[in-house]
Amino acid sequence: MNANDVIEAYVNDVAVQLPRKQRNDVAFELRALLNEELQARADGSGRVADAGMAIDMLQAFGQPAEVAARYRPTLVVIDPVDGHAFVRLTVIGLLVIWTLGLIAQLGAPIQSADQFLIALGQWWTKTVIASLWWPGALAVYFAIAAWTRRRWPQSQAWKPVAAGHTPGGRAALVMGLVGIALGLFVLTEPRWVLDAFWGGNAAPAAYEALTYTEAFRHREGVVLWLLVATNIPLLAAAIVAGRWTTLMRRVQTAGSLATCAAMAWAVAGGPIFIRPAADSMTKGLMVLIIVLTLLELGIRLHRNVKPTPDNMGSRLTG
Amino acid sequence: MGDSDAFGKLELELRRGVLVLATLSQLRGQRYGYELRQALAAKGLPIEEGTLYPLLRRLETQGVLDSEWKIEDGPPRRYYSLNADGRKLLKKLTDSWKGMNGAMDRLLEED
Repeated sequence: MNANDVIEAYVNDVAVQLPRKQRNDVAFELRALLNEELQARADGSGRVADAGMAIDMLQAFGQPAEVAARYRPTLVVIDPVDGHAFVRLTVIGLLVIWTLGLIAQLGAPIQSADQFLIALGQWWTKTVIASLWWPGALAVYFAIAAWTRRRWPQSQAWKPVAAGHTPGGRAALVMGLVGIALGLFVLTEPRWVLDAFWGGNAAPAAYEALTYTEAFRHREGVVLWLLVATNIPLLAAAIVAGRWTTLMRRVQTAGSLATCAAMAWAVAGGPIFIRPAADSMTKGLMVLIIVLTLLELGIRLHRNVKPTPDNMGSRLTG
Repeated sequence: MGDSDAFGKLELELRRGVLVLATLSQLRGQRYGYELRQALAAKGLPIEEGTLYPLLRRLETQGVLDSEWKIEDGPPRRYYSLNADGRKLLKKLTDSWKGMNGAMDRLLEED
């Protein structure tokens, strides 16, 4: 390979990564410029240009992909401002998906080491490989967010939000209150749903499916009902105030944690419904509610800011 | 990060900031890539060829440079020069640079 061959190969590697309409023109110019640069180096060193000299020059010029990228406007898919959020959400999401998948795989009885390895293999193919949709979906979301930000910069302007602000205002709080009241109504006697929709003419099997066990009705059910009911005065106070005060938030957090604990108790305890199918579905929904509630509380805790100087104590005492 | 690392990165940032203005300033008349690089180096601002040559194409795509292929004493070369928009841009950037340069001089003056 002589110096011309080296330059030819380099130019080809750069040009092939450029848009077709400018590829040949840029290649022709780049080749001429590189030949001129090489000749200047040869003249400067007092020897004939050779392949080694050309390779040294081109390595300093840059990787072909980098050089090709410099010829084009910078393409940003995910804005740098979203970089950390993208990585954080990707990692958290994958961990949640992998953990739930692992629990599902290992939940079935495993009798031998072979079965364990088979379960792990299934987890790898059905959960880990399949979970790659998550970073893909996030990339699409952040790409759309970046495009929207560039397309309508004014719509993204920062606006102050008061502490305790409730999205949707009082109307949303009233709807929340109605939702809680309906939830209590259904929690008291789920079969009323059938009466409401079918006027008492639903199949007997449907009524049986929505019948609580006596143990749940008199134990976990009562506790759950009371905990959900504490949301009514809380929401009423928020509607009157028009926002969530710090005290209300604290009471709400404590209530949410207590409700999660009560639901976990109900899931771990005996059957909730007489029918096993209804029971397992309800327990699955309760686990989902617990996970989502804890996730929401975790996010709120993570986003909590208390302006405090670092090492104030040591400076004062030092 | 060591001191030399920090200096290298920060100096690179400074050089990036003046790259376009320096390039535009030397294209009031027609020049081809290698010739332009030599002119910049002769005036104390050497720019890596891997940075300068793609920059010329990008500035042309942005509509501030015109270019044409010509044969003058050698192989065919693509010559670049400022167009009307490029001259306006050079004027604005020059004014801005002078303002910043003056401010920096005042800031950096030792008491």
